[in-house]
Amino acid sequence: MRPQPAQHLTSEEIELWAQGLLGAARAMHLADCSLCLAEGERERKLVLTLAQLPRFAPAGGFTDRVMARVRIPTPSGEFHS
Amino acid sequence: MAWAKDGHEAAFRELVRRYERPIFSLIYRMVRDRALAEDLAQETFVKVLNGIKTYRPEFKFSSWIFKIANNVAIDQLRRRSLETLSLDGSPHATTAEERAATELQLGSGGETPLDEVQNRELGTAIERAIARLRPSYRACIMLRHVEGHSYEEIAQILDLPLGTVKTYIHRARNELREYLEDRRE
Repeated sequence: MRPQPAQHLTSEEIELWAQGLLGAARAMHLADCSLCLAEGERERKLVLTLAQLPRFAPAGGFTDRVMARVRIPTPSGEFHS
Repeated sequence: MAWAKDGHEAAFRELVRRYERPIFSLIYRMVRDRALAEDLAQETFVKVLNGIKTYRPEFKFSSWIFKIANNVAIDQLRRRSLETLSLDGSPHATTAEERAATELQLGSGGETPLDEVQNRELGTAIERAIARLRPSYRACIMLRHVEGHSYEEIAQILDLPLGTVKTYIHRARNELREYLEDRRE
């Protein structure tokens, strides 16, 4: 049965819709409800902006600096750095 | 992972290579200081690799490493009270003078090259909005929307009830939207 316009989407459903994951039956509600559609569009814009955030890289030689402090077990069970 | 658990150096290096960007990015956005974030990311990997024998494979490895990274960042924030710093000054400041005194200066004179990189990286509207979130909200948002973890994984990483994670993410998104929309008006 098609949901009535009064059955607004929950915040979780809005998030799912913004990510294209909301089931078609509930998504149909947006065709009749400008409030939920506006909320969904705002959400989609934010989710898109967040998803485009870059991943930063540490300075060069990071792995070597980590490995210099790591104890690596030898076959005899002892550790070396 | 099994290879790393056996202590193979090449496997250790591969784990660092695979996770260095996501772990560094999370910590960097938490503490907003590049040099400090590098030290904390290093500390995270040292803890992970030296404690690899304690890793329990029933948990996702990424959840385990993010949990350690988040704990390292939160410990640092507590120690240094960095959570009271934002680009716009401490939220605990009661006067304009106090607020100005705790404000992070962007583009001011006397910047080192590292400062300039940091300002360029974290100076965008969305980064400034994220910086204004309280640390627990910030971690939730980064784990959810940048790293793509499920709510359940975030609850495990942050040691929070699932309902709390959902609430934090919902509130954080509202705060981000409000901040970004206020800036456009």
